Amino acid sequence: MLRDFTSPFDATVVRLVSNAGAEIIGKTNCDEFGMGSLNIHSIHGPVVNPFQVESQRAAGGSSGGSAAAVAAGLCTAALGTDTGGSIRLPASYCGVVGFKPSYGLVSRYGVVSYADSLDTVGVLAQDVSQVVQVFEQINKYDYNDPTSIDERTRNRAQIFAKERYNLWNHEDLKGLRIGVPQEYFPSELSSSSNPILSSTRHVLSLLQSLGATICSVSLPSTKYALSAYYVIASAEASSCLSRYDGVQYGFGREVRKRILLGTYALSADAFDNYFLQAQRVRQLVRDDFDRVFSMPNVLYADSSFSLNENGEAAASTGIDVLIHPSAIRTAPPLEDARNDSSERDTLQDYVQDVLTVPASLAGLPALSIPMRTTTDLADSASSASNKPEEENWPIGISVVGQWGSDDLVMKATSGLYSHLVNPDIHWIFIKSSAPTRNNQSLFNYKIRFVRNYDN
Amino acid sequence: MYTYASIGVLFLHPSFMSRLLVDGWQVVIGLETHVQIKSSQKLFSKSPTSLLNRYPNTQYNAFDAAFPGTLPRLNRKCLDLALRAALALNCSIKTRSSFDRKHYFYSDQPAGYQITQHYSPFAVNGQFTAPKLGIPVRIKQIQLEQDTAKSVTDARTRTALIDLDRAGTGLLEIVTEPDFRSSTQAAEYIRSLQETLRALGVSDGNMEAGSFRCDVNVSINRPNEPPGTRCEVKNINSVKFMVAAIEYEIQRQRLLLETNGLVPQETRGFNHDSWKTFKMRAKEDAPEYRYMPDPNLGVLVLGQEHIEKVRREMPLLPAATRARLLETYSSSGVTESNIDVLMNLDVSREIPYDGAPESTIGAVAYFELLCSPGRDPKFVMNWMIQNLLGQLSALGKSFCSDYIAVAQMGELLDLVGTKQMSRSSAKLLLKQMLISPSNTPVKQLAAEMDLLSSVLLNTNTASVSPNEDDILHNVCVRAIAALPREIEAIRNGNDNVYNKVIGWIMRETKGKVDAKQTKNMLKQLIDQ
Repeated sequence: MLRDFTSPFDATVVRLVSNAGAEIIGKTNCDEFGMGSLNIHSIHGPVVNPFQVESQRAAGGSSGGSAAAVAAGLCTAALGTDTGGSIRLPASYCGVVGFKPSYGLVSRYGVVSYADSLDTVGVLAQDVSQVVQVFEQINKYDYNDPTSIDERTRNRAQIFAKERYNLWNHEDLKGLRIGVPQEYFPSELSSSSNPILSSTRHVLSLLQSLGATICSVSLPSTKYALSAYYVIASAEASSCLSRYDGVQYGFGREVRKRILLGTYALSADAFDNYFLQAQRVRQLVRDDFDRVFSMPNVLYADSSFSLNENGEAAASTGIDVLIHPSAIRTAPPLEDARNDSSERDTLQDYVQDVLTVPASLAGLPALSIPMRTTTDLADSASSASNKPEEENWPIGISVVGQWGSDDLVMKATSGLYSHLVNPDIHWIFIKSSAPTRNNQSLFNYKIRFVRNYDN
Repeated sequence: MYTYASIGVLFLHPSFMSRLLVDGWQVVIGLETHVQIKSSQKLFSKSPTSLLNRYPNTQYNAFDAAFPGTLPRLNRKCLDLALRAALALNCSIKTRSSFDRKHYFYSDQPAGYQITQHYSPFAVNGQFTAPKLGIPVRIKQIQLEQDTAKSVTDARTRTALIDLDRAGTGLLEIVTEPDFRSSTQAAEYIRSLQETLRALGVSDGNMEAGSFRCDVNVSINRPNEPPGTRCEVKNINSVKFMVAAIEYEIQRQRLLLETNGLVPQETRGFNHDSWKTFKMRAKEDAPEYRYMPDPNLGVLVLGQEHIEKVRREMPLLPAATRARLLETYSSSGVTESNIDVLMNLDVSREIPYDGAPESTIGAVAYFELLCSPGRDPKFVMNWMIQNLLGQLSALGKSFCSDYIAVAQMGELLDLVGTKQMSRSSAKLLLKQMLISPSNTPVKQLAAEMDLLSSVLLNTNTASVSPNEDDILHNVCVRAIAALPREIEAIRNGNDNVYNKVIGWIMRETKGKVDAKQTKNMLKQLIDQ
């Protein structure tokens, strides 16, 4: 729809990374307006997961092109946007690191809006240190974004995060308090063929062996989060997209569906029961998170809160980060996703987001890294000519922190990451997957960040 | 939206109401006024607001045109001007309010929605008393919102053209309760609101240019019966049209009620040619605006401290200025109508952007600057109104302090006041100074033009020297000799002819004599 559109200005993030010396090599495919979890709703065709091209699996969405570009080694890092999981899900499916920062830290100026209150610019890269490197450049206050958080609030959050970080033993993870939310293990995860549960157990025992304290926590509003998310995201989308009027522009099927849903949610008769109700749920989700974290939410906590008064109590009961699987399954075959017949259970596409939307609703930082599977990945890599079995496909694990504790999340994750992942594995797989015609889809860029080529 | 349930107690007073019944019908009117804020930049973007002289589609940026990736940023200057308006209308200002998106599809709305304050306007529950109405009008709310683009339809070519320059300009929507009982009251409120907002620098209030537009809600009912169904007439851009629209609605609704007993709730327009209102849409066709809180702008927080700062820096309201001028100058013989003349001059002056102090001196300030060194206010006022304004209007100009600086005007007045120059000479000099302005000291100019009273060059006293009396005496004697018929007429009691004789003397002396003294001298000589 915006194929021939060239923006008259650069997005703030594009300006920042360019100024820092990064070279922009292209635009990546994504679901139209970021709407989708599989990157199949694109005029350029679906993105093929480069983990094993022959298997024709989805890369995840909506920033599937960004994840695939990183996984295929086309670039060091890619920018993406995450409205309800659009960075973390493809990162999980493609086996790369995907980071959705706290809402308001990275400027949205220049980002094509899907849902303004949820859209977050983030980074995808091969490893955590590269994510950190890019994030440091784009983590800046921007006057042009009215939701950009001021320096004072950023600093306040950072002080709290640092206090927590100083309580750990940095050689291992002793002193780090990790919460595992009970509600993040839905029935979809417990089927015997699903390797995610056992992988997660493996990660948790690894963390425990590194000295971290693992506690079970409850986030009771989680079960309403997905519904609330789809009402809010669709409502905002119907508004944000009304500038592309139906007279001059045609939308894809998925976008049309969400616009209709959102339009209904905002109509006078439905507003209270849908939109306002969803906003209430959103607040409950935030409250859930604020209850379990050791660090206060500086956006809402009253300014008199200090670590001295509450720190002690929080340290004994609160947790520093949450940890949970990034997705309920590995990358699904594109065959299933492409099947547009009415028999297909399209609801399944939305359920993919169930584990990622709560952090979006609360605007929290969330980082997904590939986790080792129970079978030895190195073994499977050495015999890479064989088609990888289901349990060998990448799965992500997400680390989620309190608002503004982005540094804390990245530090906790990199501690885990170094023990979890052998960075060589990716390269072996990439070498094994020879470029095919399907790789073309990676180069069919969709306008997401638009550059002014006149410069 | 009007709640008719609570009608101002004052208006329910029987004696008041009976005066305003139209053939046994009570008229109920409420007004919504859209006021363009006089800011240099738009409400949510940094592009300049449109001036009158500009080409279409030159004053907008990517945000105004709703390009992808653009975001709004509230212009604090618009907000401060909005606060001035809210304070002047005695509203209670909410420390927390918010912006909402009002969605509708129209070509003059690039984003597909207008940002307004539907759920939580920043100012509510105000009260405004138009001085000439004398009764308070309740202000329901004031909301900040964006103006639309301008669409121009060409009926001949059947095309619609869009000018984005107006898109995104800051607007105040000022909503009254249904407190008016006649078109006259509504008109007086509009004029007074216009004057107030101009005085505050909030808006230039120019109805013709579209910076001040009204929607009128009209209903009629029998006294002591519940209010009738209202009809809204939209987008009226002059007081004259507003009065006409209200009067037409009253007659139309009366006819309906007196024949079939029903007025359908409608939104109507006003036809400028036929002076009639016409149906735009019925209630059931009311658009679904799908109001949604704007996720980008969040909560608008207004600190009490900031509100007080805006209050302190507010220019005086016209009523307060009028009262102050009366109190200060009426003892010197300055009349109320004098003051009204001065204040009316200021009504048409240019309003600066962003509520900045005015760069030119208004008529009131000009008057006060002239009075400040101890000049007689009545004397100053008479010179300003009779001579300065008179000469300016003869030259086809309206008042502006740029034509003659306060200091120069002051020098001129002092020459008259100390009798170094006669009134008529001073008028001549003033005319000359207005036609060809110069920085030469006024006294020097007067000397160059030979307009100084030669006999009085070095005296400041009011007493008249014998020598001067002689000159006056001589010229009067010559006049009597030269104008026998006129003198005869005066002797026969026609005093008007004095002016002709004085005119002859003025010409002879190049206006250097004082007209009053001359008349006295002539009288003496003729009566001898």
